[in-house]
Amino acid sequence: MANIELLLLFLLASGIVSYFLTKWKSFVGSVFTIFSTMFVFASLAMYGFSGQLDTTVNVIPVLSFAQTNIGFYFAIIIVFVYLMVSFFHPYFVGEYKYKNSYNVMFLLSLAGVIGTFFADNFIQLFFAFEFIVWTSMLLIPMGKSKKAAVSYYGFSAAGSFAMLFGILVMRSVSGSFDIDLGLASLAGGQATLVFVMFLVAAFSKLGAFPFHIWLPEAHGNAPHPFSPVLSGALVKLGAFVAVFAILRIMPSTPLIDFANSNLPHIPLGQYAVVILGSLSIVFGTLMAIKEDDAKKLLAYSSMSHGGYILVAFGIMTSQAVAGGFYHILAHALASAGAFMAIAAVAKQTGTTKMSELGGMIHKMPITYIVYLVAIISMAGIPPMGGFISKWLIFQAVIDKGMIFVAIAVFFGSIGSFLYVFRPLAALFLGQELREYKVKVKEAPFLMLLPMLIITALNVYTGVIPSAILNFTNGMLVDLGLAPVSITMWDIVGTTGTLNPALIALVFGFGVVIAFIIFIVLKKSKKVTLMETYTAGNFVHDEQLLHYTKDFYAPLERLYIKYTTIMKEFYETLAVKVKEIGRFGKYLFMNKFIGTTILWIIAILLFLLVGEVL
Amino acid sequence: MSSLAVLLIAIPLIAAFVSILSKKVAPYLLLIASLINVILLFYFVPDGIVVIGGYDLPYGINLFVDTFSRTGLGVVNVLFLVIVLLNIVEFKKYSSVLLVALAGLNGLLLTGDLFNLFVFLEISGIAAYLITTSNHKPLATFRYLIIGAVGSSLYLFGLIIFYGMFGTLNLMDMVSFIQANNVDPSALVLPAMLMFIGLGVEAKLLPFNSWVKGVLKDSNTLSGPMIAAVYAATISFVFGRIINNLLTLAFVGNLLIVVLVLLAVGIFIAEAMAFASTKVREILLYSSIAQASIVILLFVNGIVLWAVYLIIANALSKTVMFLVINKATKDHGDDESDSLQGVFSKNILVGITFSVATLSVMGLPLFMGFVVKLNYLTELAVGAQWALLAVILISSIIEGIYFVRMLIKLWYPEKNEVTVKFDLGFKVVFVAIALILLALGTYTAPLNTLDNSIDTIAEVIDNG
Repeated sequence: MANIELLLLFLLASGIVSYFLTKWKSFVGSVFTIFSTMFVFASLAMYGFSGQLDTTVNVIPVLSFAQTNIGFYFAIIIVFVYLMVSFFHPYFVGEYKYKNSYNVMFLLSLAGVIGTFFADNFIQLFFAFEFIVWTSMLLIPMGKSKKAAVSYYGFSAAGSFAMLFGILVMRSVSGSFDIDLGLASLAGGQATLVFVMFLVAAFSKLGAFPFHIWLPEAHGNAPHPFSPVLSGALVKLGAFVAVFAILRIMPSTPLIDFANSNLPHIPLGQYAVVILGSLSIVFGTLMAIKEDDAKKLLAYSSMSHGGYILVAFGIMTSQAVAGGFYHILAHALASAGAFMAIAAVAKQTGTTKMSELGGMIHKMPITYIVYLVAIISMAGIPPMGGFISKWLIFQAVIDKGMIFVAIAVFFGSIGSFLYVFRPLAALFLGQELREYKVKVKEAPFLMLLPMLIITALNVYTGVIPSAILNFTNGMLVDLGLAPVSITMWDIVGTTGTLNPALIALVFGFGVVIAFIIFIVLKKSKKVTLMETYTAGNFVHDEQLLHYTKDFYAPLERLYIKYTTIMKEFYETLAVKVKEIGRFGKYLFMNKFIGTTILWIIAILLFLLVGEVL
Repeated sequence: MSSLAVLLIAIPLIAAFVSILSKKVAPYLLLIASLINVILLFYFVPDGIVVIGGYDLPYGINLFVDTFSRTGLGVVNVLFLVIVLLNIVEFKKYSSVLLVALAGLNGLLLTGDLFNLFVFLEISGIAAYLITTSNHKPLATFRYLIIGAVGSSLYLFGLIIFYGMFGTLNLMDMVSFIQANNVDPSALVLPAMLMFIGLGVEAKLLPFNSWVKGVLKDSNTLSGPMIAAVYAATISFVFGRIINNLLTLAFVGNLLIVVLVLLAVGIFIAEAMAFASTKVREILLYSSIAQASIVILLFVNGIVLWAVYLIIANALSKTVMFLVINKATKDHGDDESDSLQGVFSKNILVGITFSVATLSVMGLPLFMGFVVKLNYLTELAVGAQWALLAVILISSIIEGIYFVRMLIKLWYPEKNEVTVKFDLGFKVVFVAIALILLALGTYTAPLNTLDNSIDTIAEVIDNG
């Protein structure tokens, strides 16, 4: 039996060991990190699915753990992403400024992850939550930007303090920090307050509108192997809090009533979540469409996918929630795959800017496949995992008759075709740039291995979802919802039955036919750039002739001037706080000694007048 | 011998007089006296009330040793010794002044007599003014002197009114008189507020604290930690005792609201001022203003225990932070955070301890600050002080942002290399304090052995 407490202690100890190993040789320390992460993942996977994790506490008496289906589901996904990413460490960590602490912080934040999802009281949950914040925050500045960590911390802190406020309100009602007790004890205005506070936490962690500013900053500028962790794993903490807020607190807000409709109603609170989630989808999609940096593009895509999860939870039907849970897995796999592919390209070329890359498919075909499968899943096209979850969510949205939300979720889906295709075209396809022709090779095997595993899982989750849906059904039951009816091959929805394996078969058949045509027909001839000529002139120099840079310029022009509104809002907010500070300095800290006396007299006068009158 | 507590004041005071005779002996006297004080405190001084001169309690001067003052004395004397040890070579000529300071600080913590407290306030104040002359900013020291004198005069003014009303200077006597006679709180407003403002000046509460900036922004390895950690801790303890026993009797109704609003606004404005600063020492000093306001806020709310632990956590963290930055500034010549960029890239160990201290002040888990913060926030929630809770949490976001910004700057070099060399002694102290912060952040059992009744004056009064 795997003991949670021992796993935590093991991670702390391995953190310390990895510090010294990495100091000695970064490769050795990183390999050690892989094995430590693998041990934790294996322990969880071996016993967790049957609910046999040992949650007893022997060494640290203040802790207490519990295994819940929901907690375990999140934990196993996130630990898996950590494990996959750890394979990248041997090739990346050596370059970083503080390479010794990179592995330490990585392992410590993993300990925080386990602490979060197996906590049985809010204090421990908050402890672990904050622990993840600062350990991961210290990793981010090792990447490109030093400022990214500041906005990451700011939004994370806002989220966790809002959650703490909610926790303390709950504690004042129930008298204990116990999670189940606390959530059950809420009623009336307090329930609404805690609901809002937890939503702030969920939105800011998930990077959903209006707390999305940190996502492109942190994801885009984090060290390449840490971006998949942030996007695939750590933003899902927000989804975890969202489950508490949306599905367990459920304040008794008035129902939204559509006139003349027999449709099931949604409480106002949840309805607001659905609307904000839809906005996240639309804004995330639009921002991703205009982004030039591949990592920032994927970060905005994370924002839009966070929106899907919120929409799903907000609708609150079995199908929707199952779709939300499934989307957490599907997006974790897809975004980890995509970010890791980009990281592999960045490793070999040193850039993630789409305008500076091209034709990587010639040198990195496997990475190309990994990215391709990941983005197919992200766009929700069969036969990948993202299709299953979106199918469930779409059905639920249509069932509820939410037309505008439906427009948003479909827009997000179509929009994701638009934007995920751009890195594909810009990075991997098209003209092979001269500077990468010679030195660039396919990523080493140790990096390909996790990418291939993720690719296989992207396909698996899209073809045979029944095992995972069975597990999420257990989670639905825990939440008091009816399970989604599934068989080995079919998912039964309200509007029809889905057989993903059949779809995959047809899809596979199509691929085979296409492949046969490709084999049978005449081979295309490969020409170099020097063999073409334009407008009657020979090309004397190989220059960049592919224009994936401003792909959607006409579309972008429609909204480009509105894209900075939220960023400006937060910047202005920071400036205002700074101005308050300056004003405070002027009022209280100026060069005149008399000022202090003035304040003292003013306060005394104020009090005395108050007393006399 | 229950009267040994007197020695905590007497030894440094006598040593101070003796040290004037010989400049050579003075540093040794300082070391010996502060060491003897620590030993006396931890091994010999028993709890109890020490009556000096054999007068009955309300008439004579008395010293009060309980868990509260013992905790304060422990923190102050140990940190004092540590800071003295680190600076003794460089600041030899301040030995006599430091001895006076020690006598004054111990007197403040021990005395149960409010007039006596004023005397010690002046003694420690004079020493503090002299210590700040080591900054070589005479104007700032002068301001400190003037505003400090105004503060202690206001305290004295308040005390005189109290004396006029109740005819006693003894804290216990006065409190028991007020309780026994059910004195109308509105009658206490003026003296209580005068006392509050007077001590608020010393405890650097906004808006009575304009001296802090001048004193701490040019501080050195002696004056920085001395004023920001040792003096701040002492005044907080003393202020806490007065608030907890005497001033709470007046802080009811509207006056309580006024005081809480004053403190809450102070917290927010101080964090905003730190946010608006770019010099590292300014950031630290504004952050300590905010933390001091939180401490007093907790005392006003009757959350004594966690206020005490917050004082300790802050004193420990600020000692490390001011020592590191003042040493770096001394070697580098500038404390602009942009020019100190990357100072830790060659001083990993110092960087780690500084980061631990900072993360602890920010209240992040694994460090003492987290435990303290979580507990005082819980206590505030239990008292249904939701507005204060919200103010503290929002201020914490601001605090976190500027500290993270500062930490990243200090860790990551830009262009110019900053070379600062830390002596072994400094490193030992940093590591020890970081370990204490880590230990108390993970193993909280020692913190939980006490409760809010550590200030036993109320109990003594109840039992006669």
